[in-house]
Amino acid sequence: MSNITHLSGLALAEKIKAGAADAAQLFNTFRDKIKGKGKELNSFVEVYDTPVAAKGNSVLSGVPIAIKDNICIKGKRITCASKILNTHTAVYDATVIERLKNAGLRIIGTCNMDEFAFGSSTENSCYGRVKNPWDLTRIPGGSSGGSAAAVAARLVPFALGSDTGGSIRQPAALCGVVGMKPTYGRVSRFGLIAFGSSLDQIGPITTDMADCAQLLNILCGEDKHDSTCAAIAVPDFTQGLSELKPGVRIGIPKEYFAVGLNVEVKASIDEVLNVFKSKGAKIVEVTLPHTEYAVATYYIIGASEASSNLQRFDGVRYGLRVKGDNLIDTYAKTRGEGFGAEAKRRIFLGTYSLSSGYYDAYFVRALKVRRLIKEDFDKAFKTVDVILTPTSPTAAFKAGEKISDPLSMYLSDIYTISANLAGVPAVSIPCGFNKENLPIGFQLIGKAFDEMTLINLGFAYQNVTDFHQKMPKIAYE
Amino acid sequence: MNDYDIVIGLEVHCQLKTASKIFCGCSTAFENPANSNICPVCAGYPGVLPVFNAKALSLGVRTSLALNCKINEKIYFERKNYFYPDLPKNYQISQFKQPLGEKGFIELLSGRKIGITRVHLEEDAGKSIHKENYSLVDLNRTGTPLMEIVSEPDMVSPQEAYEYLTALKMLLRYIGVSDCDMEKGSLRCDANISLKKKGETKLGTKVELKNMNSFKGVRDGLNFEAFRQEKVLNSNEKIFQETRLWDDVGGKTVVMRTKEESHDYRYFPEPDLLDFSIPLSLIGQEKPKVGESPLKCRARFLSVYGLGEKDADTLVGEPAFAEFFEAACKYFNDPKKIAGWFLGPLLEQANTLTDKFDGIKITPENFAQVVKYFSEGKLNNLAAKKVLAFAAATNDSADKIIEREGLTQVSDESAIEALAKEAIAENVKVVEEYKGGKQQAIMFLVGQVMKKSKGKANPQMARGLLEEIINGGNK
Amino acid sequence: MDDKQLVEYVAKLARVSLSQEEEAAIAGQLHKILEYVDKLKEAKVDNVDALRAALVERDVLRQDEVVPSTLSEDILKNAPLREGNYFKVAKIIE
Repeated sequence: MSNITHLSGLALAEKIKAGAADAAQLFNTFRDKIKGKGKELNSFVEVYDTPVAAKGNSVLSGVPIAIKDNICIKGKRITCASKILNTHTAVYDATVIERLKNAGLRIIGTCNMDEFAFGSSTENSCYGRVKNPWDLTRIPGGSSGGSAAAVAARLVPFALGSDTGGSIRQPAALCGVVGMKPTYGRVSRFGLIAFGSSLDQIGPITTDMADCAQLLNILCGEDKHDSTCAAIAVPDFTQGLSELKPGVRIGIPKEYFAVGLNVEVKASIDEVLNVFKSKGAKIVEVTLPHTEYAVATYYIIGASEASSNLQRFDGVRYGLRVKGDNLIDTYAKTRGEGFGAEAKRRIFLGTYSLSSGYYDAYFVRALKVRRLIKEDFDKAFKTVDVILTPTSPTAAFKAGEKISDPLSMYLSDIYTISANLAGVPAVSIPCGFNKENLPIGFQLIGKAFDEMTLINLGFAYQNVTDFHQKMPKIAYE
Repeated sequence: MNDYDIVIGLEVHCQLKTASKIFCGCSTAFENPANSNICPVCAGYPGVLPVFNAKALSLGVRTSLALNCKINEKIYFERKNYFYPDLPKNYQISQFKQPLGEKGFIELLSGRKIGITRVHLEEDAGKSIHKENYSLVDLNRTGTPLMEIVSEPDMVSPQEAYEYLTALKMLLRYIGVSDCDMEKGSLRCDANISLKKKGETKLGTKVELKNMNSFKGVRDGLNFEAFRQEKVLNSNEKIFQETRLWDDVGGKTVVMRTKEESHDYRYFPEPDLLDFSIPLSLIGQEKPKVGESPLKCRARFLSVYGLGEKDADTLVGEPAFAEFFEAACKYFNDPKKIAGWFLGPLLEQANTLTDKFDGIKITPENFAQVVKYFSEGKLNNLAAKKVLAFAAATNDSADKIIEREGLTQVSDESAIEALAKEAIAENVKVVEEYKGGKQQAIMFLVGQVMKKSKGKANPQMARGLLEEIINGGNK
Repeated sequence: MDDKQLVEYVAKLARVSLSQEEEAAIAGQLHKILEYVDKLKEAKVDNVDALRAALVERDVLRQDEVVPSTLSEDILKNAPLREGNYFKVAKIIE
């Protein structure tokens, strides 16, 4: 029975089509695994008894999928892992949910996350932390920690996450799975409860590149409900699941490989480069000179947008309401009790950055540095087709290790953040384990709207390696 | 106000005439019950995003053109952040640094030009009802497209402020962008007023005035405030920069209970909406809809057509009216009669239709024909109204209707005389009353003649004949 | 503005109430974070335009068509406090 849960989404779909598996039974199998062995991980907020009704068909028909708890599913409890939305029911479907339904996928539940996507460890959830399936004393990364842990433990074949500064890629790396952040504007944000409006993207977390490509085909495309969703043609991403494009040039940014990079991570990356070299790729050194400003830039822009996006949580129309002495007191008490510590920190940082007297010095300045960071990528992509970096500076750290040092937590995003600022697509792919048997991932960053190259390289790499097929003990029944 | 000059600027918000809201598809129609025209977007639900209404952009461009503004090639929206229950997202999507139009002007009836600082677009908030110790919020109005028009502080008197509002309303109605009805809330006005010593250039401290609910209220409020400020300054005291409310009932301005903290709106560009370009093609599309200034049109109606001010104002109130009127005059050159029949019987007809004037089918040419026939005596008043009623609905020509319904006015003296004699014979008592001094009694007899003639008799002739017969001896 | 004043000012703007402990903790953390982001002062941004979105601009407009409001009741049902068809709130002092 447990073997079937080890199959990729595509493989499951093929079994269903061939009549070798029944979609309803398959759903129950995964559901029971989540509630049984998987409970330990605390990776789900809601698990459904029956799937959300699917309407159409596609290559992935009948396969269960989990959704990060910040994407609206009509009629379902959607909380962002926050006390302020603990009892909230969404009244409409996010566009991506519509698309999944129309593709015949079976939504199985919502995944735990850092509250409002603020975090890199999924320790900021009001429902308790998520455990890394490879070592339960460690964090799975964040903020899509629940989604990544669930996929790694094979509680679901794939899941949706959201990525604002690395929230899909970093947990994917720390859990040993594939996680992609599409180009900003590829996937509709309508129904994604916003954190950083100019940074957020929804993306797939899968076990291999083929599932990633299939999900991208379903998720991407123009949406009349989202003015920031590009009206750009969506290619068939499965075309990337082929021989490595000859002569592909891979850029290595020297700033990402500075002194101090974790020895084991560096060793893994070197091996990755060897694999690509052996397949005829050219390795070129590039420079992204403004990398050192990326974290600061991201935190100001992200927190500023978030502080405004979170103002709507005031106890008037939905969510938690804590009675106060008067209207203002009601607002303050509701938000004071409803938001966790990290959410408050971001709100305060953002409100401050936008406030009179500080707006130019912080917010506007950050937007200017953002342009410099984007231009770094534009320049680099003149000489290379894709950029390769580590995803995370370290493998998964222990729970509680960084929670009281916000700044050190923020720095775990150092490799992933720039892609969000520049709007370019990026994917994390498993490439090894450290001596504590903790997963390591490498990151590919591509040109805007060139997810195809990322898929192509990822597929080629996975054809000759098997890291993505390794599973933690908890995945076995 | 001998020692001081009054300096007034007005900030007007008007609701644009769109069918749907500015950032979502909900209807802007005035509807009960509360909270029935709402959706997750305008109710500020988690995860929603705004999408900009093309018509709001067009109407905004049209207004900026009509106000002679420089139109920015690119515009973007900004978030104005503050907490309020009728503002669901607790920020308003508005414009700050780069408005739609800037540096324009409007000409008043008096010929004075008042500068327009800026024209920009934003979303309206909802409405609150205040009960004893709680409030109720209705979000139907949230998201209605608003245009904010800020004037330069060019107005020199409360009366001029009144004239500004009148001219602005006339213009905005004329170009079809807003109803500008203060009573219905489609136009709201706040004012800024300060006094400066005559001859000095330095402006005084300005006071913001709110809660004026009519044009008259604006004038009265500014009047009171001007005198209040004069008194304060003459007592050598300082004017505080504050917001005051006009108390219409009490006839005075009062300080608004101050909010504890100043407004830090933390404006920043709206990340959910990218830039919008205002291409020349859009300007080219809207310019013809601005057309001639309604002031010029009105002036023409007064001088060339000889209409009275009231009639001219009504005709200029709707471009469709003005157009129809002028076209009809081409076919029958009696503007006063044309205006009279238009503003009376034709508009009466229009008011019975759901589409109002838009539902009227009669062409200016056919309309002019009816008026002409009345003027020539071919149709009496009643008959002309009947013809108009038919034609308004069908645009059948007057001739066709007259023939079909047999409505030609009878002005044949002998025919009417015969009917008059009949009426006199049948109504001896009324004749006695008339002879006894009750002048009005003749009208009853005229009515009888009209009835007998099935409405076709020429009523003036009937009356004349009746009087002759009764007074002048029998024939 | 010292750290404590800063936190009080922002708490008011953001309508978030903090306990004494939270105030103290957040003041210290914000201080460190702001110190870190001050790093941006070193970046050379003269003559650089702000980049507010990575996406190339597009004029995304919708036609002025009414979409029936079918979710009004669902929305009202979610209200923490409701009176008839209204959202009920504490008295708005004005």
